[in-house]
Amino acid sequence: MSDEESELQSFLATLKSQFTVNNFKIQGNLLSLTTDSTTYVELATYLKEHDFARCLTVSATDWLDTNEFEIYYLVHHLKNNVYVKVAVSIPRNKPEITSLSTIWKSAAMHEREMWELFGITFVGNMMLKPLFLEDWTNLPPLRKDFNWRDYVAQEYYKTEEE
Amino acid sequence: MSQLLKAIKTILGIAVSKPMTFSFPPDMPLTELHRGRQLYKPDLCKGCKICSMVCPNNAILMVEREKSEENKTGLQPQIDFRKCCFCGLCVDNCPTGALSFTNFPILLTMKPETLNYTPEMLAIPPTLEHPEAPKIKNTVSWARSRSIWIINYMTGCCFIEAVPWVASSFDMERFGLIAVGSPRHADAMIVGGYVTPKTLKRIIRIYSLMPQPKWVISLGNCPMTGGTYWDSYNTIKDISKYIPVDIWIAGCPPRPEPIGVAVVHAIQAIQGGYIGKEEKTNTDAGKMKLPTYSILEADSGQAQMDFVFGSQHSASGNFNMSLTLDGETVVDATPNPGYLHRGFEKLMEYRTWLQNIMLVPRICVLDGASYELAYSGVSEKLAGIEVPLRGQYLRVIQAELSRIQSHQMNLGFGGAATGFDTNERIIWGDRDQVLLLLEELTGARIYHIFNTIGGVRRDIQPDFPTKTNQLISYLRKRLQIYDDLFFHNKTFIDRTQGLGVLTQETAIANDVTGPNLRATDVDFDIRTATPYEAYKDIGVKVVTASKGDAYHRFLCRRQEIEESLNIIERALDQLPSGPVCTTKTPEDKKITWRLKIPQGEAFHCIEAGRGELCFHAISTGENTPYRVKVRGPTFGTILVMFPKLLHGVKIADVPVVYWSLDQCPADHDR
Ligand code: SF4
Ligand code: SF4
Ligand code: SF4
Repeated sequence: MSDEESELQSFLATLKSQFTVNNFKIQGNLLSLTTDSTTYVELATYLKEHDFARCLTVSATDWLDTNEFEIYYLVHHLKNNVYVKVAVSIPRNKPEITSLSTIWKSAAMHEREMWELFGITFVGNMMLKPLFLEDWTNLPPLRKDFNWRDYVAQEYYKTEEE
Repeated sequence: MSQLLKAIKTILGIAVSKPMTFSFPPDMPLTELHRGRQLYKPDLCKGCKICSMVCPNNAILMVEREKSEENKTGLQPQIDFRKCCFCGLCVDNCPTGALSFTNFPILLTMKPETLNYTPEMLAIPPTLEHPEAPKIKNTVSWARSRSIWIINYMTGCCFIEAVPWVASSFDMERFGLIAVGSPRHADAMIVGGYVTPKTLKRIIRIYSLMPQPKWVISLGNCPMTGGTYWDSYNTIKDISKYIPVDIWIAGCPPRPEPIGVAVVHAIQAIQGGYIGKEEKTNTDAGKMKLPTYSILEADSGQAQMDFVFGSQHSASGNFNMSLTLDGETVVDATPNPGYLHRGFEKLMEYRTWLQNIMLVPRICVLDGASYELAYSGVSEKLAGIEVPLRGQYLRVIQAELSRIQSHQMNLGFGGAATGFDTNERIIWGDRDQVLLLLEELTGARIYHIFNTIGGVRRDIQPDFPTKTNQLISYLRKRLQIYDDLFFHNKTFIDRTQGLGVLTQETAIANDVTGPNLRATDVDFDIRTATPYEAYKDIGVKVVTASKGDAYHRFLCRRQEIEESLNIIERALDQLPSGPVCTTKTPEDKKITWRLKIPQGEAFHCIEAGRGELCFHAISTGENTPYRVKVRGPTFGTILVMFPKLLHGVKIADVPVVYWSLDQCPADHDR
């Protein structure tokens, strides 16, 4: 076992004693786990206080089968070179979660992107405005139920044929 | 005195050295291994349709032929070069060898339909034909033809191959071509690749501002048919529906030579009296409503003003920034990205794991090799595939060559931003030598598609080590010249030292990565922190600098070029023998273009030229990914940090800060 892995093992033990976390898995220097939406923010604060200073991304996956969005953030500890990924599932019909932008400043822009591409509201994020798309009126494009082939045929091929 | 001697020595050195500029018309063949127009051998084809199924761009249509003993289905391929991106999947997967590549890169026309090649046309080996020179009509058209000014708007990734024409390597000024910033002075526009609705509006506006006569050259497949992004929700599929186009150049991206041939065609046509198509713009189709622009009233009492930087600006890339100025000083800045958003993460969900390798390098044209590497890494992690050692070494060589050319590109922009156009031309000329070597290695200059799941697609040629060593010693000498041009140059030092200073703490808090982070004295490089491929054996010396200003960011990249040269040298020295690619998964299944990857998810981070590049892929056991997340290296740097860095900076220094961060809008827009 590498140093980083044993580091993560002991870190995971501390986390387990303080928070409700499930599905933990250590792969190399990455610890991934899932939690619920209140612990999601508490855990973020804890991680920030423990030198996970870099938030690399906030991202989402659309699971149509279970009707949920899985949101996760990936943070990095520069000195120990370990990554932690914290995931949480929220219902698709009420896609709302507390923003992490007060904890990591750089999270705000990633959340803005997820707001635009998945339609997830991050409560407390002051930046939720269109980022990449101009005048977009359809479903958020990265959702699995956005019928993209129809959209492309209609918006581009048909209008350009005329 | 010694200064004078040095100057004389330099001039004499230049006088006796080989010129950097390539001859034109090009000497054919260019590079033996370039993936150019395909050749089709009808006798071999058995009509199995594999080529048309595997093509990610729908470029191959099966058409009928006579049934025979060999060809039982009575079908054969027809290739549409308005769509083909020369990825080579069809040639690789053709079981009979009926399709093969020639190294012929020149495909251009005034009528795009003629680029749809029937099997009969495909069976004839290609040749280069120059049009007959027409009689010069009058002095006006002669003068016009030799002074074409081109509007400087870097629309999409094809623009990368127009860049060598600015540099000393291809040198467009010998044709009288000049790049200009204002549409009012421009005669021609080059639509450089894919066009998103956001960009389209700006293109139409620029086009309508250009004085007559005006010409439009369209580069690449994307503006013709949508190309690689034929199913993207955010690119238009045919630019000629919005503005008239005079010459179309096919390729993805086209090599610089076809651009030169197109220019020669244009010059001859103009001399013959051609004044372009009738001016026409269409702003009604689809959702292409032009935005309204408000023109500011001049008000002498006003202390602050709003100022738009980009997206059409010679120093902005296709990226826009709203600045608030107080006098000449920036007091506020808001980024407005999205001009290059193609929805990669969506596109990747609908292509197979293997087809995606041909898509990913297009995320960032300046350093595509890193994206191939990161994506193949994540798929191999998921599938549990081990790459043979020799394959890993070749991947390292490719990635480091790509890092060198990316840093050279950046130093060139740094020269341009500080007013040293000569530096830019010199350094980009050297970059072309690196691209040629990459082509020897991989078969293409820009989008190599060298990686595949399980290794790399082919082994090196016998003369590759010699050629590489020649290039290494050439570049080592050139690095001394870069030092004189930039880092010992008083004007450059004055412009960049103490400008845009990043402290270690802000850099970390704002997700700054790569050389920008290392210039604040953070000793973090994924190549040593979490070594991937063969980096552990080869070894990397991490380059850092201490001041965190624009100067030290450029310096860091210059030092990284040097270290990359050392890495390549060591890698070639130690290059192990053996296969370069595995063909089987751990479950003993053959790796095909329809490979199914077991359920699971994986993260893979690598050190790209611009910093940390992470891929997160989720598989549900299908032959396509369920979700891929790309975390590009410039997202935090440009969208989060850059606007804050501009506070208090003079307007003339905005491009300097911008390029010192080594931006790539295509990377954060995806
Ligand atoms: S080279 Fe690639 S894009 Fe071109 S026809 Fe073959 S598979 Fe299609
Ligand atoms: S060209 Fe090759 S892959 Fe295509 S139908 Fe013929 S034999 Fe099959
Ligand atoms: S994908 Fe290819 S054709 Fe399209 S803009 Fe990029 S290089 Fe040009």
